[in-house]
Amino acid sequence: MTKLTGADMVLEALEREHVELIFGYPGGANLPIYQHLPEHPKLKHILVRHEQGAAHMADGYARASGRPGVVLATSGPGALNLVTGLCTAYMDSVPMIAITGQVNSAQVGLDAFQESDVIGATSSVTKHSYLVTSIDQLPRVIHEAFHIATTGRPGPVLIDICKDVQLAEADRVTPERLDIPGYQPNGHVQLDRARQAAEALAKAERPVILAGHGVLLSHAEPQLRELAEKAGAPVGTTLLGIGAFPVSHPLSLHMTGFMGTGWCLKAVQNADVLMMVGMRVDDRVTARLADFAPKVKTFIHVDIDGSEMGKNVRPHIELVADARQALEAVLPHVGSLEEGRGRWLAQIDAWREEHPLRYTRSNGHLQPQDVLIDMYRRCRNEAVVVADVGQNQIWAALWWNYDRPGLFLNSGGAGTMGFALPAAIGAKFGRPELPVWCVAGEGGFVMTAQELSVAVEHQLDIKIVLLNNLSLGMVRQFQDDFYGGVRSQVDLTHMPEFVKLAEAYGLPAVRVDKLSDVGPAMDAAERTQGPFLIDFRIDPEANVYPIVPLGKGLNDFWEAPEHD
Amino acid sequence: MTDQERVRILSVEVLNGSNTLSKVSGLIRRRGFHVRSISVGPSREPGRSRMTLTVDSGHAGADQVRKQLERLVEVVAVEDLTGYEVHSRELIVARVAASEVGGLLERGARVLDAGPGGTTIEFAGEDKDVGDFVDELMRHGILDVVRSGPVVMRRTA
Repeated sequence: MTKLTGADMVLEALEREHVELIFGYPGGANLPIYQHLPEHPKLKHILVRHEQGAAHMADGYARASGRPGVVLATSGPGALNLVTGLCTAYMDSVPMIAITGQVNSAQVGLDAFQESDVIGATSSVTKHSYLVTSIDQLPRVIHEAFHIATTGRPGPVLIDICKDVQLAEADRVTPERLDIPGYQPNGHVQLDRARQAAEALAKAERPVILAGHGVLLSHAEPQLRELAEKAGAPVGTTLLGIGAFPVSHPLSLHMTGFMGTGWCLKAVQNADVLMMVGMRVDDRVTARLADFAPKVKTFIHVDIDGSEMGKNVRPHIELVADARQALEAVLPHVGSLEEGRGRWLAQIDAWREEHPLRYTRSNGHLQPQDVLIDMYRRCRNEAVVVADVGQNQIWAALWWNYDRPGLFLNSGGAGTMGFALPAAIGAKFGRPELPVWCVAGEGGFVMTAQELSVAVEHQLDIKIVLLNNLSLGMVRQFQDDFYGGVRSQVDLTHMPEFVKLAEAYGLPAVRVDKLSDVGPAMDAAERTQGPFLIDFRIDPEANVYPIVPLGKGLNDFWEAPEHD
Repeated sequence: MTDQERVRILSVEVLNGSNTLSKVSGLIRRRGFHVRSISVGPSREPGRSRMTLTVDSGHAGADQVRKQLERLVEVVAVEDLTGYEVHSRELIVARVAASEVGGLLERGARVLDAGPGGTTIEFAGEDKDVGDFVDELMRHGILDVVRSGPVVMRRTA
């Protein structure tokens, strides 16, 4: 029987799991794996410039491709640099495998050079984790890790492998059948509850369906659309659920939550039956919980993670199951409506007229919406948009009509600044056939800007749209509106000249200050093969609307001021 | 929700592993729950242990304690024993001054050793007995006391 080193076992196992890409950074504790990496040409390695970038790239790759992202880092600071990226993936249920080197097993706990308790540091931001101290554990652990990361509610799994294990030798072993007694990921649809859900929808006068990331993860968009049309129920999505239902569909309410559209919030607050599919019903969706959906008689909650049931909102009907399976079970029982939805849908149309998305265009400044509308006109539904966190994220969410799944990626749960650029790089590797647009504010962008090197090295066709308002815009808006107008530590006028920064990294860039220059700059970006950056100097006072004031209920949303 | 309603008694079967206890305790801390007692020992199955947890769910729904524990891969099964007829036994070991032993022996305590530093006694019993015994102990000069925390099993008869 052939003897293999632990390092080879890791790489062989990755091949067996059909891994194509690894985002990583070498260091002392993972050098055996890097030594053998060239012997595995099927595994393409992307050398990042910081481990946080690796985690976000793997995350973007996973979100875009549907396959688990793989990260490789060394021990101690290398592994700890992954924490933010793991948290981002964990909060948004993204499948990821993080392999970290660890000091020799005999040194664990002795504060050896570059030792850290990575398992301890990451236990709250991983779905599961393993410390591998013996080569015998390796094949089973890697096989289990992929299974756990990709099934049920997906999430990141960390494998911490001692260096002596990587160097040890053992016979090649193919992992046996999975046996994880504490892991039963798949709920099964209780048919009587599915029938109850269908009946509740049919009897409703004012039904609303809200769809989250779980719909996208289970590819339940067709079933959701069929259910909405059959039940005559309008559909709003969470920020992470964007793409689960076509925004241009007549039944679309667009986005819900405390920065959702006015007509969606009105619908939620007046609904008598609310079906929530593949979502956590978190505070960003409910705003003040006591005021959330006060007229609802029947809450229906569908989620694959049973712990989400009743965590924030206590449902009357719960379906602990994969979103697609649950909707498929509900659909046959949705019969003819007791009465039409005409009045309810007309009311929603009236709210849509009454509370439109709008923005100022008369103050002489370039507005972020001008940029996004131009982008949308060019891309329609043939590009992936990866947003950072803050005002740019909400503008990018609201000012596009996402009609297909997988076209809008963002850090919804963790709200991680610095996500967009590395995630866009990962997304481009995951969906090379589609243009990828990275939308970021200047604050978030500089948190991971070093990954521009990766975009240039691989000549990735990524268009970087900086919505530069010379401040931490969302924080500034909150300070203005909710913290007494005291602008504290939000001024970002002392930032690099981004065109020069881009040039230093080796990519072309332009700066745009006025509306008439938006089109030509976008043209130049589209003509360029490879990365391109546009520094849009937008209105420094531009705000996100609608917005629900902190501590208030969804009814209390503020709208953009009326103007021009 | 009353204080009593927030408290759950859970019997948790876990896989033995270097991270299991820290994962369970970390989860309880992170979710805002409060451990009132925890006891761990080997279970019937090799490679597994049985934890008995008494947990206050804090501001979360009481059923969240079980649901969150069930998410851990190390957790094989969770049985919520709250509200069931159970055997709940706890062991107390205490050291008291020799002059104080009499009343405690009458309540069923047993002497483990005696010396110039005091007399060490043990007492095991059901919840209520333990409570009464602790009340009695408080009236004596306790030099030291150790409690195991309850171990709980559903009654079948």
